[in-house]
Amino acid sequence: MGKKRKHSETEQAAPLKKDDSAPERPKRTLLGWKDKAQDAEEPKQPAPEFRNKEKVLVTCSRRISFRYRHLMLNIVSLLPHCKKDSKVEAKSSKGATLNELVELKGSSSCLFFECRKHKDLYLWMVKSPSGPSVKFLVNAVHTMEELKLTGNHLKGSRPLLTFSSNFDKDVHWKLLKEMLTQVFGIPKEHRKSKPYHDHVFAFSIVDDHIWFRNYQISVPHNEADKVARGGLDKMTLVEVGPRFCLNPIKIFGGSFGGPTLYENPFYVSPNQIRALEKRNKAGKFAKKIKAKTRKKMHELSNPLEPDEFADMWKDDE
Amino acid sequence: MSFEDDDFVEDDEMNMIDEDEAASDSEAESLSDSDEEITEKLAEPTKTAVYNRDGLLDKLQDISWPEDIDWTHKLTVEIEQGQQAAVDVNDDLAREMAFYTQALVGTRQAFEKLQEMGLPFLRPGDYYAEMVKSDTHMEKVKSKLLYEKRQMEEAEERRKARDNKKMAKEVQSQKMKERAKQKKDEIESVKKWRKQRQQSGFSEKGAGELDLEFGNGKSFQRGGGGGKKRPGVSPGDRSGGKGKTASRMNNKKREFRDSKFGHGGRKGLSKQNTAETTNDFKGGFRGGKAGGNKRQKR
Repeated sequence: MGKKRKHSETEQAAPLKKDDSAPERPKRTLLGWKDKAQDAEEPKQPAPEFRNKEKVLVTCSRRISFRYRHLMLNIVSLLPHCKKDSKVEAKSSKGATLNELVELKGSSSCLFFECRKHKDLYLWMVKSPSGPSVKFLVNAVHTMEELKLTGNHLKGSRPLLTFSSNFDKDVHWKLLKEMLTQVFGIPKEHRKSKPYHDHVFAFSIVDDHIWFRNYQISVPHNEADKVARGGLDKMTLVEVGPRFCLNPIKIFGGSFGGPTLYENPFYVSPNQIRALEKRNKAGKFAKKIKAKTRKKMHELSNPLEPDEFADMWKDDE
Repeated sequence: MSFEDDDFVEDDEMNMIDEDEAASDSEAESLSDSDEEITEKLAEPTKTAVYNRDGLLDKLQDISWPEDIDWTHKLTVEIEQGQQAAVDVNDDLAREMAFYTQALVGTRQAFEKLQEMGLPFLRPGDYYAEMVKSDTHMEKVKSKLLYEKRQMEEAEERRKARDNKKMAKEVQSQKMKERAKQKKDEIESVKKWRKQRQQSGFSEKGAGELDLEFGNGKSFQRGGGGGKKRPGVSPGDRSGGKGKTASRMNNKKREFRDSKFGHGGRKGLSKQNTAETTNDFKGGFRGGKAGGNKRQKR
């Protein structure tokens, strides 16, 4: 309970901290150096001061496979403002249960990884009290543990979010962009966030799918707030991971349900794809039988002329 | 990354099926009330998809943050995509390049903004904090990179050695031919000199005409020029000489596996009657795995 009050305490203490003129030595905490400059930043706005109080609840269904579980754990490590919860039973009316869970934990949004048939991963991204919810199908998953993804960054540092311009082209993309910003962007003065920006998320829409990439920024620099001349040109990005591709299926008006606001016309469920494949393969045997009977009929109807030379070699045995 | 292929194939099939398959699926039944139903650019004319633009806009208004907050809360950058249509989903390299350039351009813009604001945004060299991947993991990454580099270098060396060997073989055959020719020539010249002497009746003044080059002592060395450099190899040996390549390869494999899974222990010598065990009452060292509860993979 004490922790929950800390936010309001710091809010009152922040204006006092603004009077520090000389930069003090950064306070040393267990996890690293806590820079006072971070706390001194306060948005200077008209009356309503905005505080990003986003809290994300991350859960999964039971019978989730290892790859998707690792993806979920990667996302938990990327978002310090999230809270990981235990597995949720599959068959319960998941709308009601999950809504209750979200309210209980006091989170404002939820990422629910649902794994079906041990093969397909669906991701629900939900804004809690009455917000819209989106169901995605997740493809092309690569976790951070893959050795080909060599980058690394501070745990909990705030990412820069880059979106491709086609997020502004249509309403449902705009809504998705807003939701992604709120879920994946770490609140500014979060307890567990680290001060510097050393990684960047890239969300792009290609072929009506949202592709997610996470890169580490490496730029040669000497000071913390200035890039050396020409340093921006020498900036390189190294991929940290994870990687995944989201295919939006439906957008609902309520959380985990409600009126459908958007349906993806190009979406074909993976079950149907598998069924189609099976049907194609199943046709093979039937076609073979049909071809055989057709051949027999053809032979019966067009008998061959008797071959004069057929018996020629028979006596030589 | 064997999963990558499966997933991309699946994406392909999804697109193909949209265009080819005529039977509509049950996803099309819209759940409930929606104010407008606009058929978006559909693959098939029979499908109707819900697209409630007003509803979406309403929800967007509901959830979005106020307009006038500081950019540092959002940290979003939008990147114009000039040639977006040119990015083919299935061309992995082009797609990843597009994502990379998007992130790069975005970071540049963001850094410029941050620099203007005067906020610290670059990590100082002495800032040590918990990273998202553990140190052991980064060690593994490093060793894999080194391993790949070493493989490439070794392949290069092997190729060069092979080429050199070919060259050397050619050069050697040339030399052999030359030497043979020289030998023949010398013998011929001796024969000619003898004939000349015969013809001129064994007179003494013909002796100076012998034109052999005795200064070049190399041609009379045993075993060809330079002597045998590898005395252990018999002349008729075609296997390429010493060093059993097969056992060397197995040894490398064994070494790698040992380093990863641990040495298996000697084969059957754990309970032998040797000098040490004879004098050893109550049993002393009981062999390799005397470590108690040692599970192989932790």
